[in-house]
Amino acid sequence: MTTASMAGPASRAGTTFDFLFLALSLGATAILIALVLLDDQLWSAALILGGFALGVAFLKAEFSYTASWRRFLTRGEAGGLLGGLIVIAVTAVAVVPVAALSPKFGGAIAPLGPSLIIGAFTFGIGMQLANGCGSGTLYTAGGGSGRMLLALAGFLVGCVFGSLSLPAFLALGGFDPVLASDYLGPWGGLAATLASIAAAASLIVAVAKRRGANFIPARNYIVGGLVIGLLCIAVFVAGGHPWSVTFGFTVWGAKIFSALGFDFSQAPFWQWAGAKHALEGSVLSDTSSLTDFGMLFGAMAAAAATKPFAVTAWPPMKSLAAALIGGLLMGWGARLGFGCNIGAFVSGVASGSLHGWVWFAAALPGCLIGIRLRPLFGLSAD
Amino acid sequence: MRKVYIAVIVLGLAVVVTQHLTSPSSGRAVSPEDFAGACAPCGAPCPSKR
Repeated sequence: MTTASMAGPASRAGTTFDFLFLALSLGATAILIALVLLDDQLWSAALILGGFALGVAFLKAEFSYTASWRRFLTRGEAGGLLGGLIVIAVTAVAVVPVAALSPKFGGAIAPLGPSLIIGAFTFGIGMQLANGCGSGTLYTAGGGSGRMLLALAGFLVGCVFGSLSLPAFLALGGFDPVLASDYLGPWGGLAATLASIAAAASLIVAVAKRRGANFIPARNYIVGGLVIGLLCIAVFVAGGHPWSVTFGFTVWGAKIFSALGFDFSQAPFWQWAGAKHALEGSVLSDTSSLTDFGMLFGAMAAAAATKPFAVTAWPPMKSLAAALIGGLLMGWGARLGFGCNIGAFVSGVASGSLHGWVWFAAALPGCLIGIRLRPLFGLSAD
Repeated sequence: MRKVYIAVIVLGLAVVVTQHLTSPSSGRAVSPEDFAGACAPCGAPCPSKR
């Protein structure tokens, strides 16, 4: 018989779970779903549920872009990196042809230029300092890491500063998006996209072999990669666009700043139609916010269902500082780079957009710098 | 840390619910990419259009 109390974790038949946070996460998700269903928005409910499932999948699979990229850069281990490419390949199978064939759907595209490169590079530094990327910040914060709550706060602030900086960086110039399906058609575009993923995988394996490191993904990265890829397709179907994370953070941050009296009416970014609509409307009318909320509560539910939630002590101040600075850098970088490792890299490449690969190529050197900086904050460089 | 989480969840949820109920109904959730002229997930215009 359960002996759960509202005050803390409980045990049942040898399994520890946390009734309070399980109830909070499920209750909060139910409230959000009820709110959008009151407006007859079935697809919005689907996006919340898709995000919830992503939170569970990421937490259960311990699917970490940040750690796997760090392992590749420091030791040559490629398994995690290849797991990330599984996500992209699975997602691309649906996104490239459907976005090209159906006017109701669109891919994740973005211009090529200095803003993209500077943004991705900065994001790479930030993700190693924070020890979490766009998706990682969401699922670890949701999963009970108070440190990552701080990274999320920094992320929001960084996104707002990034939104104010982006127009000036766009003025430096650039090229329109390059989309494989525009040149090769839906199926040729898909073939080219899968070929580019295969080429990247081959290169990554070659580097791992040369460094004498393991390149076979662990089971959690294979299964997790497949499941997360399928969930990316579900989010694409429900939202009409590939999964993105950080625009939601930007909207949350801007709404908080607005509530504090900040005026965005003269900021060019917030006069663009989509951003203006998001700032003026309900936070639940923005697709990325819906999946973000779902992911936070999904990770929380998954964590609370298996162990006492958030019972660890706060980490040292230096580690908290790294989380905050990393979050700020990721937020600023995500706005300049047209998204994070999810919106720009995973969804960009899965859409057959060249900017996804450019983002990745620029983020990796940033990660290297971030890895070098980690010991300054008491974090492992390995 | 648990108290911080409880505060963040309760306060955050209250703000989201209030903000949603006091905002104009906008129909289906959208992304900035759904608007004309968007060239990126944030709705930035294309370089050729600037």
